[in-house]
Amino acid sequence: MISFVDVNKWYGDYHALCDINAEVAKGEVVVVCGPSGSGKSTLIRTVNRLEEIKSGKLTVDGADIQGPRAARDLNRMRSRIGFVFQSFNLFPHLSVLENVTLSPMKVRGVKREDARATAMRLLTRVGLANKAGSFPAQLSGGQQQRVAIARALAMEPPAMLFDEPTSALDPEMVGEVLSVMRGLAEDGMTMMCVTHEMGFAREVADRVWFMDAGRILEVADPETFFSSPQHPRSQRFLSDLRAH
Amino acid sequence: MWSVVDIVRDNWLLLLIGQYPHGPLGGIAATLILSVFGILLAFPVSVALALARLSPWRVLRWPVTGLVYATRGIPLLMIILWTYFLLPVLTGHTVSGFTTMLCTLVLYEGCYLSEVVRAGIEALPKGQSEAAKSLGHGYYGRMRYIILPQALFNMLPSMLSQFISTIQDTTLGYVINVQELTFAANQVNNQLLTQPFQVFFILAITYFVVCFTLTQATHWLERRVAARRRGIPAAVPVTPAADGLPLPTGEELP
Ligand SMILES: Nc1ncnc2c1ncn2[C@@H]1O[C@H](COP(=O)(O)OP(=O)(O)OP(=O)(O)O)[C@@H](O)[C@H]1O
Ligand SMILES: [Mg+2]
Repeated sequence: MISFVDVNKWYGDYHALCDINAEVAKGEVVVVCGPSGSGKSTLIRTVNRLEEIKSGKLTVDGADIQGPRAARDLNRMRSRIGFVFQSFNLFPHLSVLENVTLSPMKVRGVKREDARATAMRLLTRVGLANKAGSFPAQLSGGQQQRVAIARALAMEPPAMLFDEPTSALDPEMVGEVLSVMRGLAEDGMTMMCVTHEMGFAREVADRVWFMDAGRILEVADPETFFSSPQHPRSQRFLSDLRAH
Repeated sequence: MWSVVDIVRDNWLLLLIGQYPHGPLGGIAATLILSVFGILLAFPVSVALALARLSPWRVLRWPVTGLVYATRGIPLLMIILWTYFLLPVLTGHTVSGFTTMLCTLVLYEGCYLSEVVRAGIEALPKGQSEAAKSLGHGYYGRMRYIILPQALFNMLPSMLSQFISTIQDTTLGYVINVQELTFAANQVNNQLLTQPFQVFFILAITYFVVCFTLTQATHWLERRVAARRRGIPAAVPVTPAADGLPLPTGEELP
């Protein structure tokens, strides 16, 4: 579904992604973890071309999103990849319902009634149907993030990307967002999640990618990764994590 | 002091609408029309200039940046004179003082406002644009539905202040015989000959009242915008769904 072949990225002369070769299969849930500054955000943001790569090839659902010919088709490709940000990025001038209906109507040309019906179904799914008329600033962080997930799902993307979706949340709100994500995973959504929630990774992920210094150092199923990590760097990362 | 009242009593119509209907519309009416049309036309110009200055294409960015810098670095009076002499040459027609002044104001206020618009756009968090991109909105959609509505809303107070400056700037139309309020006051002064202080006192008070009222409106608007930014939905009621979907409004809000 998402495949990286020899992907390299530079920020000026800093080598942010080095020779990334990896693949997310259809229906698979991949958790990307690693220390701060290791390039997790950079990696996940290349998938819908919020960051451009220097070399290599990145395909999403068969489409070469970083290719030179993608520029023309980029918006359509992006609309087929859901992205959930650490900072929610809801549109503050629109109500919750409008946040969710805007893009289906304006990007995909869905009729207003259909967009509203879909939006209400998705808001019900994330447990926020009663907040449809509220504005983002009136919601808690956890509620905003759930709206953001509903907004991304409204485009009916075959794959969803999450960049630390719970890192900006108060601890008591982490659970509600993770449970929405768990539900998505159970429904067979292809997901790539950057997260420090190791409980979630252990329970939901099909595979864990461990990154450091712009490289994927280890790819393993969560059971193996957490009980017997192979790479010395992942061992250190996990023991640091447990120390906290 | 009574002479001020007398002057107003004898000349209020001239000060209000100039020699209309026996001559062109003038007085406060002309001043306000000039300012309102000036700012209304300058507004789309300013958005276009701001977008050009923010565009990734140098061919667009550089000339517009040059234009904005030049306009901001030249006194308005100079631009009025340039337009006054240049416009007839360019169009091949004689152009009325009113039109000349309007064109100048649109250019001048457009350039000033464009800086406000640009700042408003740049002040929005980058995440807004990224979220819009990630949902598949192209440049037009991002600007139209996400960026400009927020930036322009936040800018409302600045735009109103710019409107107040515009009213004051229209006085300069006097030098090319635009028949606005200052022109009318000067006509009165020329008739009376002996009471310049009273006449120009009236003129100053009139400008002050108009601009002060608008300044107060700006403060009010600023508070509303600030409140809206904090998340209290001020004047934007959510339209309930007409299709029978359960759409609760804000009852259960904190
Ligand atoms: N726009 C940029 N310009 C230059 N360097 C950047 C830029 N964005 C990120 N970097 C650098 O690239 C590296 C990887 O950043 P990235 O944000 O991908 O890390 P991360 O793994 O997501 O970290 P965190 O857990 O803190 O979010 C960091 O060293 C960072 O300083
Ligand atoms: Mg990050």
